[in-house]
Amino acid sequence: MSATYIWTVVIGMAVANFVVRFPPIAVLSRVALPGWLRRWLSFIPVSVMATLVIGAVVRPDGVWLPPAHNPYLLASLATGAIYWRSRSFVGATIAGVLLFVALRAAVG
Amino acid sequence: MPTTGSKQAPCPPRRARFARGLKLGLPILLGYMPVGAAFGIVARDLGFTPLQAVTCSATALAGAGQFIGLALMKSGATALTVVAATSVVNLRYVLFGAAMSPHVSRVPLGGQAILAFTLTDETFAVNIDDNRRGNADAFSMAGVGAIAWVGWVSGTALGALTAGLIGDPSAWGVQFAMPAMFSALLVAQAEDRRHVVIGAVAAALAILLMLTLPADWYVLVTPVLAATLAAVVYR
Repeated sequence: MSATYIWTVVIGMAVANFVVRFPPIAVLSRVALPGWLRRWLSFIPVSVMATLVIGAVVRPDGVWLPPAHNPYLLASLATGAIYWRSRSFVGATIAGVLLFVALRAAVG
Repeated sequence: MPTTGSKQAPCPPRRARFARGLKLGLPILLGYMPVGAAFGIVARDLGFTPLQAVTCSATALAGAGQFIGLALMKSGATALTVVAATSVVNLRYVLFGAAMSPHVSRVPLGGQAILAFTLTDETFAVNIDDNRRGNADAFSMAGVGAIAWVGWVSGTALGALTAGLIGDPSAWGVQFAMPAMFSALLVAQAEDRRHVVIGAVAAALAILLMLTLPADWYVLVTPVLAATLAAVVYR
């Protein structure tokens, strides 16, 4: 793998990632958005999070796992419950990883 | 609102707000370091120098997009294909940016550029949650972004420099660090009954679209469909 090829990819990825991130913020924050669009946007965060959780737990690494033998799914439910009770992101994240390791040994 | 860095006018509240953001983003650091280390290890394995791996993480800050880039490079894709694919994977940032825009309308362009540069799934979720509680401002959001960047870059450096010395990081369950954080952040988003319903609908839609759409298109299509349904139903 040539250095030129790697550097081209590295620079290209840097530019591409800024291009998808910056213009929407710069442009949309300067115009008055209509009410329906603001309402639509207010539903985006919860939709995105649900999508990312599902993607990460039902098909980790691109492989579908059966629910009863899926440590990702079980640990995710437990992590959500721990956050619900504790309201601590750090605590829930650490507890979730420890539970995942235990569940992987038990059912995975 | 002035930008950061005016040294002659010490403004503790501003520094305090930035520090608050750093603290708020601590779980992101914990989640990013091991995954960044995994990126460093895989990149070295592929032929990256430590400098190339760290530069990639420091300038792209793209998580999944970077891993997909490596996978494509391994299969011999052209540079253009690799860059195009990571852009498509990260198209959801357009949605994130749009959702963030009402909250940063008073931030100057340079500050917005910094916040945009550090926009990731996790910084977005933490900042949106903080905004909902009415606490977030440009400096706290910059703090969240800074600690996330430090976690991702230092993790990559650690992985790239120690590649071959430490064993398989998956033994420590690091691959669950992100899903664990997402799970907590999803619960944090469920502020009322409507949001619980939308979350459940999005989850069901995601499974349906994972089964029907090619590659990872469900990541972009699911939120668009779920939010549209919600906007139509909840007028």
